[in-house]
Amino acid sequence: MSVPTHQAPKRAGRTRERGTWTPQLSRRAGILLVTPLVLAVLLLVVYPILKLLYDSLTVGAGPGNYVDAVSSGAIRRAFVHTLLTSAAVTALSVGIGASLAWTLRRARHRVATALIWAAVLLPFWMGVVVKNYAFALLFAREGLVNEVLLGLGLVDRPVQLLYTTTAVIVGMTYTMIPYAVLALYPSMSAVDLELMNAADGLGASRRRTFTSILLPLVMPGFIAAAAIVFAISIGFYVTPVLLGGAQAPFIATVIGDDIFTFFDYPRAAAASVLLLAIALLAIGAALKAVGLKAIRGGLG
Amino acid sequence: MTTRVGRTLDGIFSWTGRLVVGLSVAFMAIPALFIMVLSFSNDRHIGFPPETWGLDRYVEVLTSRTWLDPIVLSLEIAALTALFALILVVPAVLGMKRGNLPGGTVLESAAVAPMLFPIAAYAVGLYAVFAEADLLGTFHGIVIAHVVHAVPMVVIVLSTALDRVRPELELAAMTMGASRARAWIGITLRLLTPAVFGAATLAFVTSFDEAVFITFLGGPGLVTLPKSIFDSVQYGVDPSITAVATILMVVTAVLMLGATRMRKDVR
Repeated sequence: MSVPTHQAPKRAGRTRERGTWTPQLSRRAGILLVTPLVLAVLLLVVYPILKLLYDSLTVGAGPGNYVDAVSSGAIRRAFVHTLLTSAAVTALSVGIGASLAWTLRRARHRVATALIWAAVLLPFWMGVVVKNYAFALLFAREGLVNEVLLGLGLVDRPVQLLYTTTAVIVGMTYTMIPYAVLALYPSMSAVDLELMNAADGLGASRRRTFTSILLPLVMPGFIAAAAIVFAISIGFYVTPVLLGGAQAPFIATVIGDDIFTFFDYPRAAAASVLLLAIALLAIGAALKAVGLKAIRGGLG
Repeated sequence: MTTRVGRTLDGIFSWTGRLVVGLSVAFMAIPALFIMVLSFSNDRHIGFPPETWGLDRYVEVLTSRTWLDPIVLSLEIAALTALFALILVVPAVLGMKRGNLPGGTVLESAAVAPMLFPIAAYAVGLYAVFAEADLLGTFHGIVIAHVVHAVPMVVIVLSTALDRVRPELELAAMTMGASRARAWIGITLRLLTPAVFGAATLAFVTSFDEAVFITFLGGPGLVTLPKSIFDSVQYGVDPSITAVATILMVVTAVLMLGATRMRKDVR
């Protein structure tokens, strides 16, 4: 009895003395390791955003930059167009993404699962510019879509598809579907399929199972996915230029023109701050509703 | 009666579901297949279906400077981006996860946040900072911007991977006489290697494919591959883009699949 009590403190004492038997780093070493990233984040994430905010309030007309930006018809129209289009893109990509993510969740056939995953990830592999180029060719006056429409007798002469809002929505939805699927998949794969069987066994219709069991379980994933897709969508630059043409520009294009064509950096800064604020509002609302973990989980 | 209505609704539900999924998969696949088919056409103008087949477009891409120069520039920038992103993030993730620092979550969120910024607004912020630091239109500036662009994904991949490496393994190595450095290099980093490669690949691909920062920050002198395709699509269509696009797609797909596979290897 006396032997163990004698030995135990001795062993503990030796551990403490050497002080190395812990996976925990000393605080100083930890700080040293994170310093480069902290500096990079301060210099290249925090500082640019603060500078943008500061510039938008001090250079040019000062706070009047915002009056300038909001009273400009071009910027107002671009904002409305950007937000409405992005809302449509969000609804479509989350909707389509949900059906794909759920199919992937339920799928048992390995080849089918692999094929669907490949289809979902294709936009990531294609490159930003390339996929828009593909749609530009598909939507052209003599493009494949018009050929098919004419062939089916749905239209009797080629319709204008390229340089329309529809083209922009299709192109952006194509780009955002993988984000939506990847954001939705974690919450869907966490759903216990036995719950659905149980509901079925207890006599619930599929619709009832869907609304009372599945929907509440996957709702956080939906909200996270919608916020992520919307925040990314409103900053789009390439797709609206290549598929939307000049008549209905996105806010990104107007900001770019302000800087490079009209040399009006103050107004561009004010418009950028407004754009950023809208994105942060969307993300902030989602954070409040579902928490950091769901958003972080939605990012991969 | 309700059950019959319910069953009919169920049937409609399930078939619309299948239809939606089938159409979605077709929608995702068609643009890629379309470009691939067109790249093997020898027609002078783009038309579908092609009238003559061949490899003319690939020969043109691989022999003309208009395409080779941007490809080389993009490769250089992407390689440096991947390297610097790893140098910043690998130690930081180890420090955050093993250092028990206050504010680790804050740092991780701040590093990931740019992923959710509307890229055009963020580009204007960087534009202002780069103008101040004389980095506009420079190679270094673009590498810095691309590193910023790649860091969020690298942080996500590595921090998820490190969460799966149990600290007990390091502890075990240290109790058996290994120094901390030895335990980290021999156990932790070795287990992380696939994730590090995966993260580097993602960073590389992100940079190789980046088209917005280069437009805002690159000036007229720096023409990367995406910029070159962008300009070419905007100001007239060069059919050899289809070949560039196909090469790009296949290479990216192989790299990304490799990266995903490697990420899964971390257990």
